[in-house]
Amino acid sequence: MSEQVESLIRKDYSAGFHTQIESDTLRPGLDEEVVRFISAKKEEPEWLLEWRLKAFRAWQEMEEPTWAHVSYPLVDFQALSYYSAPRSMANKPKSLDEVDPELLATYAKLGIPLHEQEALAGVAVDAVFDSVSVVTTYRAKLEEAGVIFCPISEAVHRFPELVKKYLGSVVPQKDNFYAALNSAVFSDGSFVYIPKEVRCPMELSTYFRINEVKTGQFERTLIVADEGSHVSYLEGCTAPMRDENQLHAAVVELVALDDAQIKYSTVQNWYPGDKEGKGGIYNFVTKRGLCHRNARISWTQVETGSAITWKYPSCILKGDNSVGEFYSVALTNNLQQADTGTKMIHIGKNTRSTIVAKGISAGRSQSAYRGLVRINAGAEGARNYTQCDSLLIGDRCGAHTFPYIESRNASAVIEHEATTSKVSDDQLFLCQQRGLDAEKAVSMIVNGFCREVFKELPMEFAVEAGKLLEVSLEGSVG
Amino acid sequence: MLEIRNLSARVEGNDILRQLSLSIRPGEVHAIMGPNGAGKSTLGNVLAGRPGYEVTGGEVLFHGKDLLAMEIEERAREGVFLAFQYPVEIPGVSNMEFLKAAVDARRRHLGLGELSSFDFMKLARDAAKRVNLDQAFLKRGVNEGFSGGEKKRNEILQMMLLEPSLCILDETDSGLDIDALQVVAAGVNAMRDGQRSFIVVTHYQRLLDYIVPDHVHVLAAGRIARSGSKELALELEAKGYSWLEDEGV
Amino acid sequence: MSELINELPPASVQAQLLQVAEAQSVPAWMSSLRLAGAREWRAAAWPDRRTELWKYTPLAALRNRQFQHASLSQPAWSATQALNVDAIRLVFVNGVFDASASSPGHAAVVRFSDADAQQQALIARHLGHVATTTRHLFASLSNALVADGVLVHVAPDTALDKPVHIVHVAVPQAEPVVVSPRLLVVLEAQAELELIEQFVSDTQEQNGFVNSLTEIHCGAGAQLRHYRINLEQEHMLHVGGVHVDLWRDAHYRGFTLAEGSALKRIDYQINHQAAGASAALDGIYLPRNRQLLDYHTNVEHKAPHCTTSETFRGIVADDARAVFNGRIHIHPQAQKTLAELNNRTLLTSDRAQIDTKPELEIYADDVKCAHGATVSQLDPTAQFYLRSRGLSAIQARSMLSFGFINELLQAIEQPAVREHLHAHLQGLFAEALPGTVTNP
Repeated sequence: MSEQVESLIRKDYSAGFHTQIESDTLRPGLDEEVVRFISAKKEEPEWLLEWRLKAFRAWQEMEEPTWAHVSYPLVDFQALSYYSAPRSMANKPKSLDEVDPELLATYAKLGIPLHEQEALAGVAVDAVFDSVSVVTTYRAKLEEAGVIFCPISEAVHRFPELVKKYLGSVVPQKDNFYAALNSAVFSDGSFVYIPKEVRCPMELSTYFRINEVKTGQFERTLIVADEGSHVSYLEGCTAPMRDENQLHAAVVELVALDDAQIKYSTVQNWYPGDKEGKGGIYNFVTKRGLCHRNARISWTQVETGSAITWKYPSCILKGDNSVGEFYSVALTNNLQQADTGTKMIHIGKNTRSTIVAKGISAGRSQSAYRGLVRINAGAEGARNYTQCDSLLIGDRCGAHTFPYIESRNASAVIEHEATTSKVSDDQLFLCQQRGLDAEKAVSMIVNGFCREVFKELPMEFAVEAGKLLEVSLEGSVG
Repeated sequence: MLEIRNLSARVEGNDILRQLSLSIRPGEVHAIMGPNGAGKSTLGNVLAGRPGYEVTGGEVLFHGKDLLAMEIEERAREGVFLAFQYPVEIPGVSNMEFLKAAVDARRRHLGLGELSSFDFMKLARDAAKRVNLDQAFLKRGVNEGFSGGEKKRNEILQMMLLEPSLCILDETDSGLDIDALQVVAAGVNAMRDGQRSFIVVTHYQRLLDYIVPDHVHVLAAGRIARSGSKELALELEAKGYSWLEDEGV
Repeated sequence: MSELINELPPASVQAQLLQVAEAQSVPAWMSSLRLAGAREWRAAAWPDRRTELWKYTPLAALRNRQFQHASLSQPAWSATQALNVDAIRLVFVNGVFDASASSPGHAAVVRFSDADAQQQALIARHLGHVATTTRHLFASLSNALVADGVLVHVAPDTALDKPVHIVHVAVPQAEPVVVSPRLLVVLEAQAELELIEQFVSDTQEQNGFVNSLTEIHCGAGAQLRHYRINLEQEHMLHVGGVHVDLWRDAHYRGFTLAEGSALKRIDYQINHQAAGASAALDGIYLPRNRQLLDYHTNVEHKAPHCTTSETFRGIVADDARAVFNGRIHIHPQAQKTLAELNNRTLLTSDRAQIDTKPELEIYADDVKCAHGATVSQLDPTAQFYLRSRGLSAIQARSMLSFGFINELLQAIEQPAVREHLHAHLQGLFAEALPGTVTNP
């Protein structure tokens, strides 16, 4: 079957087009001047510039981490450009009518219409193109409910107290190499604030698009759910097909205050590189949420893109009775490499966490789950349940599991299970004997394998995720 | 409708079928019996196109078409159904979803439209009732955690929904108690309509009390050693298989 | 060797231990292994918290001790807890052979120092070749310090009529000593052996350091039943390694049990070198007081159709810390591998700690692999149930603790080992388990 499977995993990346648009792109290289330039461009207050510079200085002292189960030539950070914006965005368009039609067309082509009347009902979108936010839909409607959803560069001016209070409160500037880099040069991203006891009336979504050549994307997302509030947020990402590797080093911080709930879903479809492993995005992302008392943060991710994925969406369960969840599907094909998982840090009493991680490896790819469950001494009655399953398609890929379990409290109960299996010849034959073609059979088996994760996604995106897997696996069976 | 001519096949380097020939007309039920290792299961698997079964000679015409040239799923869509001796589990894929996809594939192939979910559900529920499977099994993963008997009944359920023109039952009776056997047999008999043909592969005569064959063939050493009417099965039951060798077949 | 030492900071543990090597007198035929070991030991980075293989186990206890090589004279020793079993027995006290406590000699078992030319050739062929130092730093120290050891050699198609029982007794000396026990087991094709390695001490407060290394070569179809029991006094420092090469259809069945100490680290490295090999390893870890106990196991599946089954259970009491790391590595050619690892830990005190990491690294697709790990406390409902039937809280806890590991004890085939451990553990659970578990 291997050959059959192998030949099925072939398909073009449909989001791989490039938008012809004039951009202002900063000269390559990174020094203090660049950090000051970005800050000035955004007309930032002094405190934020200082905050960036502190991060930059820390970053200069740090080393790129090498512990992940991935290999790639080290990134030349001086060869990258740290800021790029469509020229038409220079004079901040006031409404959608003033936005460059090329940009709108780009998003339409990606299936993300930005005109509200055409958009998915009930989903507000912030569209980020290279280093700037292009447009945010449904803002008026959201503001009626008191919900703030705007580019973070704008929030710095309009809600300085909120930004100052929470920026870096979950992921400090010096947290790790990429987080420090992001803190120094982050360009844009989304800011969300849900007031007390408010249930956000619609899904919020940010769509990231890298367009420019040799540009790093460093967006920063900050979501604050005030006491008793609820929000569901989704991010999507694509990039053109290019031979060079592009760097994406984002930071996402979630703050769930007492009794609040945040559901954060990601459908990551960055360009994965071609079949020979040329090009593709390096996705080095730090995502972390802080749960106060009775709060719940749920991460759901479907990762099919990127040449390299290095990503561990985590929960700090600080408040008593708080809940952290991580549901993940990571699919790698061709020469992709993924080292992804989560960290659940139990600090409060009766904190609970659930981890369901599904890895699918095809082609010559390598997929690793890396997770940490830590029960601190004070986390009386903490519970964790972890399930990691790997599915191998073809005999040239790898699937790995590295779970770290650290318990410091006798009343905690931790359960971890991991299995590895393959799409078996018998399963494939059964499906084919019932009239399904091999491709449909594999996608059905893979979808079945991922079911527990997909059911955590908002409805529309669950369908999208299923299709995305199908596309990503196409050509993996003959 | 099925014409097997001098079919030879090999599994893992061993010749299992040796120039086997068999002709089946519409509506007929053929029982294939024989000792262990005679190649009974191989025949069904070769007809269905199972990977690892290498055809080394001969030809098979199905409704006049070259069956061996077709992909596995083409054969299925053309109307070949193999009820597995050991039905496979597919965790996470619900029976309903799987059945709908299979039925849709067959219907598209026949130029019929896909069924609406509502209509399909109704069909599936009826079929489940007929093989005495609880509705809950439709929602569970394909064969996941099913008992041996439930798996076999699930095979018959699939057969009912796919309405094949050639049904191959590969030792469907193995491991079944008498009640389950009767349910399976009733399902099969209900599908005998004078057009649909059956190949019933079995080691035991017992099943043939319930599914009465038109022809019985004894397979030995990879070819048909004897053919006869249903009485041949009774003779086999009484004498065992060793007399075949005694006769120097 | 002195030039090697000179390049190290003089006060470092590395330099200190190499000085011990320099002071030894050894037969010339071992010198190349010693020199290679010393080079590796010197070149290796000293582990700290950032070293993945030593992430949870500090080596601080080794520092600030001036280790000597054990004196060649027979140190005095009192009663041991050695197992009473009808066996070919060799007893070593602080690494020095004690003929009076050992059984009469046997042709299949010889000390390196007594080896004839043929046996020397056999030792040279295997010693230091089964063990790999990449994941076991202290194997290179053992190579650097190798002077004597035991060779067990079982001829093709032969089974010894008695188990081989090797006892290492630790006794405190005025100056702390480093002892480097070395065992080489060579099973030729279809050979069979039962082997018991036992580490004990007298009850005085110990100050020594044992760095033991066992190398096992199982030829085609060979079968080994191996027990390794580690019950020294808790101030004894112990770093041990067991390396096993399994060739075609060979079968290794291992059992290991240890209590903790100020530093105790035990590595198992099992290599499936040829098709059809199988390994089963059961382990029990029981640290208490302020002890540390670290088990690292690594199984390399380098050939198809091999099987691994590993079960480790531990009970961590008081202020103790346990570390378990179980890695299974399936190489691309190792199709049809079946591998399972299961690790369960009970924490019986709020100050007890466990760090566990079951790892799978898989490069072949037609394999069935699974691992599981759980960490929990004694089931309060079960405790309540037992107490409601009239058992004391301590009895209930002792009974449940025992129950948690009893399955592995009962699976021990050698009756002497099983009964010895049964009695020992019953005593341990009855005496220990102070009231640190809150009553329901």
